[in-house]
Parts: sequence; structure tokens; C-alpha cells
Amino acid sequence: MGQEFSRRAVLAGLTSGAALAALPVNHAFAALDDKPFYFLTRDEARFLASFCDTLIPEDEYPSASQAGVVDFIDLQLAGPYGKGRYLYMQGPFFEGTEQQGYQVSLPPAEFIRQGIAALAEAEPRFAGGDDGLRLLVTTRLSEGSVDLGSGLPAKPLFDELWTLTNSGYFADPMYGGNKSYAGWEMVGFPGAHAYYLSFVDQHNVPYPQPPMGINHQPGRDGSMPSGLKPQEL
Amino acid sequence: MKSRTLKTCVGLVLLAALAPIPAMVGAQDTSTPAVGALESRLDDERTLFAATISDTPPDDDLLELGRLVAMGGAENVGSGMACITCHGGQGAGDGSGAFPRLAGLPGWYSYKQLNDYASGDRPNEVMTGIAQRLTEREREAVATYYAVVQAPIHRPLGEVDQGLMQWGGQLAAVGSAEKGIPACVNCHGPQGTGNPPSVPYLAGQYANYMAYQLQLWKDGVRDNDPMDVMSAIAEKMSAEDMRAVSEYYRRVENPETTGE
Amino acid sequence: MPDKTLPKTDVVIIGGGWTGLTAAYELAHEGQRCVILERGNHRHDATSFGAPEEHDELKYALRATHMMDVRKSTLTFRNDTSQRALPMRRLGSFLPGEGLGGAGIHWNGQLWRPLPSDLEMRSHYENRYGAQFIPEDLSVQDWGVTYDELEPHLDFFEKICGAAGYAGNLNGEKRAGGNVFEGPRQNEYPNPAMKQPVSSTKFGKAAERMGLNPFPFPSANVTQKYENPYGAQLHPCAYCGFCERFGCGYFAKADPIICVYDRIKEHENFEIRFQSTVMRVEKSADGRTATGVTYIDADGLEVFQPADIVCMNAYALWNVHLMLVSGLGEPYDPETRTGTVGRNYSYQTIASVDAFFEKEIITNPFMGAGALGVIVDDYNGDNFDHSDLGFVGGAYIACKQYHGRPISYQPTPEGTPRWGAEWKRAVRENYLHHADMVVHGSSMSTPGNYLDLDPTWTDAYGRPLLRMTFNFPDNDRKMAEYVTNRAVEIAQNMENVTSVASSNLAAVGSDYTVVPYQTTHNVGGAIMGTDRNTSVVNRYGQMWDHHNVFVFGACLFPQNLGYNPTGPLMGLAYWTLEHLKNDYLANPRPLMDA
Repeated sequence: MGQEFSRRAVLAGLTSGAALAALPVNHAFAALDDKPFYFLTRDEARFLASFCDTLIPEDEYPSASQAGVVDFIDLQLAGPYGKGRYLYMQGPFFEGTEQQGYQVSLPPAEFIRQGIAALAEAEPRFAGGDDGLRLLVTTRLSEGSVDLGSGLPAKPLFDELWTLTNSGYFADPMYGGNKSYAGWEMVGFPGAHAYYLSFVDQHNVPYPQPPMGINHQPGRDGSMPSGLKPQEL
Repeated sequence: MKSRTLKTCVGLVLLAALAPIPAMVGAQDTSTPAVGALESRLDDERTLFAATISDTPPDDDLLELGRLVAMGGAENVGSGMACITCHGGQGAGDGSGAFPRLAGLPGWYSYKQLNDYASGDRPNEVMTGIAQRLTEREREAVATYYAVVQAPIHRPLGEVDQGLMQWGGQLAAVGSAEKGIPACVNCHGPQGTGNPPSVPYLAGQYANYMAYQLQLWKDGVRDNDPMDVMSAIAEKMSAEDMRAVSEYYRRVENPETTGE
Repeated sequence: MPDKTLPKTDVVIIGGGWTGLTAAYELAHEGQRCVILERGNHRHDATSFGAPEEHDELKYALRATHMMDVRKSTLTFRNDTSQRALPMRRLGSFLPGEGLGGAGIHWNGQLWRPLPSDLEMRSHYENRYGAQFIPEDLSVQDWGVTYDELEPHLDFFEKICGAAGYAGNLNGEKRAGGNVFEGPRQNEYPNPAMKQPVSSTKFGKAAERMGLNPFPFPSANVTQKYENPYGAQLHPCAYCGFCERFGCGYFAKADPIICVYDRIKEHENFEIRFQSTVMRVEKSADGRTATGVTYIDADGLEVFQPADIVCMNAYALWNVHLMLVSGLGEPYDPETRTGTVGRNYSYQTIASVDAFFEKEIITNPFMGAGALGVIVDDYNGDNFDHSDLGFVGGAYIACKQYHGRPISYQPTPEGTPRWGAEWKRAVRENYLHHADMVVHGSSMSTPGNYLDLDPTWTDAYGRPLLRMTFNFPDNDRKMAEYVTNRAVEIAQNMENVTSVASSNLAAVGSDYTVVPYQTTHNVGGAIMGTDRNTSVVNRYGQMWDHHNVFVFGACLFPQNLGYNPTGPLMGLAYWTLEHLKNDYLANPRPLMDA
């Protein structure tokens, strides 16, 4: 697959000027910058950063890619989820109704890989394109009104990517996303260390405990110590 | 990281009228850190919540008062007892079992203990009298003060049987399925470093103190935590379990309270 | 031929969840040697469910790591017989368990009793509204057992759980603050009700102002330290917000491991074998009894375990599957409407109502528990006059605060886009200022909703998958719409509410879908009753066709009531065990004349 490159360089080179300055600083796995992604290719990572940032754009809080969501998705696709650990994969495969759910004949990693390739071919200007174009394409994908070819239904592809992006923004930072508790800080979720027996009936009182993740070390941001392999799931 | 507003907290109505602060008594105890040096820790991640037991942000007046109280400068100073006499100016305590570390304990937790000592909900011959002589504001202040100070832990911590340590670590991390003991880390924060505002740290606390408290909970002498959770747990523990988990946590590092 | 045949045991029990472990406890103490076969692994609250590791939303809530492994087995699904059923390839609408404790590990602890009228559904409605009242397309039946018969058993299970709540009907005396619609209780709840957050408090006050009867959620999240009748010690709930889909490391949510397994595991008559998947129940030559079960053990060997009594304690759907692949009973045929196994499968209607508060109302949704909230039961069962409504059944309305886990808890007002800048802002602005309501409703059985075997797909052992044919009957859609509108009215009457949104998964014009999570309350398919032509087991849970096979769980429900099933199905389990112990053991035979 020949994907020996710096992930920082890949992610830095992908979007508009404003995000460009922020990315190298906020990128989640600075310590792993010299290592390749586990699963994604350069083009896929670029595409995903554009796509995820359309779903969760930067405002007062980081965008999806700034919060490490591309790293999160990379790990998910490389791990059991991407390989179909949570799916019944016995054939035959038929197109079903929406009510019958996921009927794609590919495990998620391969589905997303082929889906991104088909979408990039249909919309070559997407990654790095302007906001209007990205919004338009993402909307059409979410409505299932993009033809990606047989076996690659558009709406399930969108659902898969949106669930991953959303999960990456809010899952425990040990999975590579939610960097520096970006998602938890945004909503005010205190995290995995949860003991509210004295407080649940204190009405309308803020609980401003800074978030603590599963691997929280006082003073750190809850991601895995560099050099350790992040959690795959 | 976004700066957090110190608008907090905890619904405690602390209406202690601001007592006039008596003139500073005696000379500065050089072992207590200057208030200025502590201010930055008021919005430190781990002590932020600890320091906010009123509905107004803590300020250096509160810290100044807290330090004064710690040194025995409380308004009703009849007992002549200063916190620092037993717990030290930096809250280091001692290993006898009677005097726990206070450095970096959540302020809300310490404040509640003082109230419980005063009311008798946490019976203690020495602390009850002391706490009763403190005004609400002074309890709040001294709790805040000890929340933000740091004290080193002096090493070595003494020899201990490795099997005991291993058992203690196991109880801490996963509890005991056989005895029905839930793990300490369920509630006591990352690696036992506390879960402010209500849950104190265990990491770095004195083993004798923790083992003694567990025994008090088991005996029903101490029951001042919410819904008496600790008694339910301690009742299932043997003396050896208590010793094991206490010796284990004594040796777990808690950098936020030591400044290391 | 099996790879090995083991010595005979008195009782073989299929599945190590709430009902299986309870059956083992009760029968082992009766001198019966019990063997439980559990397809999953050993696990324990202390060592497997402790925080902070357990508080991992991605791993347990999204990836459903405590649940069954769909790679090995699932079911196929279609809305009606005109469609081709396709495999449910990913868990979604419901989450059956696997491993010690079964789904009893990851439940919320919402602990209900059936209404007396629920158990006599057909006769009750016909008596009150006339013989023609129940819509013709419903195959609603009486359960064959009454509330008064079940009451001591419902009461005992509440003691096993250390249930927290407030009795609304104590020996016939109605008491405000409890559920005044419930059947009479002989005892108070073992523990006081849970504390209430601001969201449910405001809901309760609004309901009270409207003349309704709010009360705290009956809960198996224990509120103080407690010892159950088996000697299990439970601790107070921490309101940690990781309950449903998670195990509880605090010993606070009653579950089958700490409440039952720990108290029986050392007993000389008790044995449990893990990673043991039952392939089929074997029948005697004359077909009247079962001779034992054949299972695949942890080493992959096919093992025959002979037994005098077979207890089927798998999840509702898998009990039915096992009957179908074993040839127990007669499969239901929707064309001729004959046969019983697979008949009267039903589900649960779920609608949600969201109330958004002004910013000074801070709900702290992460301070939650599985059964934390306030209930209005005025529109459940037959607690209200159905004369002019054109449907039967009802739903409870709960204002609940289960959790604030941020991947799943993203409240946004009506009209908010599903993603993008506006969505992001809406999530941030509403996360701490939102009340979450559910309309949790009954689902009536129909001749067209049923379970059978799929002709195409198989499980990891080569057996046909179970095939589910299901859509909500019109009756349920009307009911769900009616009660959802009532819930919206309450939400609109709550103080400090700025807007209200609702979404009904059983809405008119929408079809049941297996994709979004609704509820793990699949019921029916092996129903109980007093007529062998319309039920698989008699009123004691004993199979009509094979008298030494006893069946447990929600598969017995002839249709679904508006409540969560664990309380009712455990009441039935103790009822069955009482008759098994006190009557059947001494004289094995059919306990009812066919």
C-alpha cells in the first residue's frame, strides 16, 4: 500500500488556510507523526478530514479533525470494527428495505474504502473544495442521492461515516479522538470517573468538574501515553 | 484548554456572615506557603472544584483566612489548637494513623468533614471541639487552604510484604468477586487520586489512617458518607484486606498533591 | 451421535441469566442436581464491571460488547410475508445478552409489576367494553394466571433486587405518591425511592398540576445498603450514568450475578458450564418427554447431557428458536393459523418526547441511573377509559434521567439539522438543559406477527436462523399516538420549558425497523395459556406436548404489556418454580389436563 508518510503533513496539507495553521498543533498523535496511518491511505485521510470537518466544523470548539477524529477512524477501521467483528457476514447478500438495516456485503473498512474511492471519483474536488461544494455533496450523500455503483449504497455509507465521526468526537480520548477532551469540554460531560450520589438532587447547580477519561492521569489529557498503542475496538 | 468560569458550586448554602478577621497572631510560620504562591492553583484542574464551596469564586482573602485558621488564628481561638500542630502547615500530616494528609484534599470534602465533626456525625474527641469553634466561613477557608497546598511525601515508605501489596492492588483495581467488595477505583478517581468534590484521594494517604478509618466504618462508628456506602464495603473486608489496600494506596503516587 | 454422553442430571437449565440462575437456586435447594449450560463466559461485577474501565461508551454502548455475538447467530427480519426476510446483520433495535447473568447484566433496573387487568387482557376488555371491543385483527389472550396468584412471587423478586420505590396500593389502600393504579401489594418496597434530579421533578410537578398521578420510577438501582433473602449484599447507587448496556461495578444495580449466582455457586447441587451452546432439546421415543439436551462444549465437542427435567431459560427469541430447531411443540402456520410455537410474537411501542429548558435550569444529565425518573401511569393498560378511543392497551410516560453519555445523548430542538455547524451548536447549548421523556407502550399480538425458521441463512452451527415477521398493528400505532400526545401536553406544562419535540417509532405510516435501538423487550412466541391450541405452555410454564420441559421468560407473554418485562417474567419464574418444586417433582406429569 506504500503509505509511508507523515500524518501531520497529510492532514496539514488538506484544507483551507485557516485550518492549516491550527492542524499541526492540534493533531492528536504528534508523537506518532513519523509513522503511517494504520489503515488509511494519504488520499483517504485527506478525504476524511474534509468530510468529517463538514459534519463537525470548527467554531469556538475544534473541528472533528482537529479533535483527532481522523486518527480515531483510522484505528477503528484497522481494528475489529473495520474487520466486521460486530456484523453477521454470511451471504447471500440482497438489497433490503431501510427497516432491514445494513446489508452491504463488505465489512465496514472495505465498504468505506471503496465508498470513498467512488465518491472521490464522482466528486474529485471534494477534498480541499470550498464549503459550499462540501456541504452539497455531504447532503446528497446523506439523502442517498449519489450513485456510487453497485454494492455501495450511499446512505449506509453516510450513516457509517457520520456515526464514526460523531463517536470520534465524543468517545473516550484513549481511542484517539476527543483530543484534550474537546467533545466533553464542549458539552460539559465530566467523563468516566462518575460518582454523583451527593449531587443528583442538587437542582440547577453547575458541576464544573473538568473531564477525566478512563486513562486519565492528573494533568494529562486522557490520551494514551505516547509509545503505547491506542485502544482498538 | 478553555478557561472555566468559577461560578460553582454544590448547592451548599454557606451564609456565614463574614466574621471580622483578627489581627495576625504570632510570626509567620515559615513552613506554610505564601498565599500568593497558592493562587494559581485555585483554578488548577484538580483543585478547582475543591476550592469552590461557596457560590462566589474563592479569592486570596479566603486563602489568607484559611492559612490563618490553619495556624491557629481562628476567631474563637479558645482551644489554642492550630491545624498545623498535627497536620502541618502544608497538610503533610503524620503516619501515626491519627493525622491524615490534608494537602490537596477536595475542599468540599474537607469542609463537610469539619461540619460533621462539629455536629458529631463524624465522632472524634479532638476534632469535634476544634470544628465547633470554627465559624462556617473559617471552615470553608481552611478547607480551601488545604485544598490548594501541596506537601511532599517523604520516602522511603518502609518495607511491606509483596504479597500484601499485590492483594491491595487487586482490591483497589478490581475489588473481590469472592467477598463482594467493589473496586476502590470505582469512586476514588484515577489511580485513587480522588474524585472531587466529594471523594477524597487515597493515593499517598497514610496507611495507618486509612486502615483505621476502614475499621471505624466497619464498626459503624464512622458513617458520614452519602448513604453509608463505605460501611457497606468495609463490612466485607478483613483486617488484612484493610491493611493491604491501605499499604498499597500509601505507595501510589499522587503528583497533584505533592507538587512532584 | 454425540462425541460424548454424560451421566444423567436431575435438571438441565439452558441459559445462565435471571431465570436460569434462579431456577438453579430454587431447585438445588430442593435437592435437585442442576446443570446450567451458558453459551457465554464467566464474568463478575467486581472484576468485570468496575469503573472507570466500564464507563466506556464506545465499547459497551455502541459496540455492545456485553451482548450476544451476531457473527455466530442472529435472526432474519421482514415487516410482512410479502418481503424477503434478511439477516439482522448488526445489533440495533434490541440487545440480547450473552455470558453469565445474560441481559440481566446490562438492564436498566426498571422493575414493574403487571396490572391485574394486563394478565386478563381479553376477558377484562370484553367485560368492560363488550365482546366486540377488541379489534378483530388482534390475537390478544388472557395469560392464564392472575395478579393475585403472582403477587407473592412479584413481591419476592422485588426483595431479591432490593427494589426502591413507593407503594401506591398497600393491601388495597391507595396512596398518593405511589402508583395508585397498581394491584394491591402485601408489602412496602424494600428500599426507599431514588433521589430525583430537576428534570423529573419538574415533570412530576406539571403532571400533578394537571391532575395526573406521578410517582418515582420503581427501581432495581438500590438506594441504601441492603441484604436480599439469599444473603446477597447490595450497595447504594452512585448515580454514575452508566447503567443500561453496562454492568454495575458498584454492587448497586441488582443483577443475577450478585443477587443469585454468588449465593448458589458453591452449592453441592449446582454446576454451570460456560461456552456451552445448546444445539437442541432431545425427545424420548414416544415424544412425550425430553430426554436431555445436546450442546457444543468449550472444546467444540458435541455433548449429550441427559436430564429428568429440561428448563428453557434462554432469551425469549432463542427459547423459541430452540423449540423450532428441536421439533418441540407444533410450529405456528400463519396461513392456517394452526400450531403454536412462534405464534403471538410481539414487541413494544417506544416514542420519545424532549423538553428543552431555559438556561437557568441545569439538569446535569450525566448524573443518572437506569431507573431514575418520574412516571405517569394514567394512560397505561386500562387505567383510562378506552370507550371512544378505538384501541386497546396503553403506555407509561416516564421523565427519565438515565445518562448523559455524549455520543448517545445529543438533544436538539425540532428543526435542527442532523449534522454540521448548527447541529454542533444545538448539542452544546441543550446538553445541560433538557428533559428526556419516553412513552413506553404495550404491543398487541396479531395473527400476522410471528417467528419461524429462515429458509436461507444459518448460524455458526449450521442451524437455520430464526425468522421474525413483524410490524406494529394499527391498534398500537393509534395507542402510541394518543399517549405521545398526552406526554407532549405534560411537557408543555412543565415550568421553564422553551420548546418540545417528539418522535414516535410506532407512528402511523412508519414501519417497524430493526436499526435504531428501541427496547430489548421481545415477547411471545412460546406463550402461556389454558388452551393447548393457542399456547405452547400451560399456565404453570410447562409445555403441553412435553411435560418435563419448563419454559421461562418473556416468550411466555401472550402480548406485551406497557411495562418492562423483567418484573413480570420473574414473577412467572417463581410461580413456575413453586409448582415445579411443590407438585411436579413428587409426581411428574402434565400439571393441567389438555
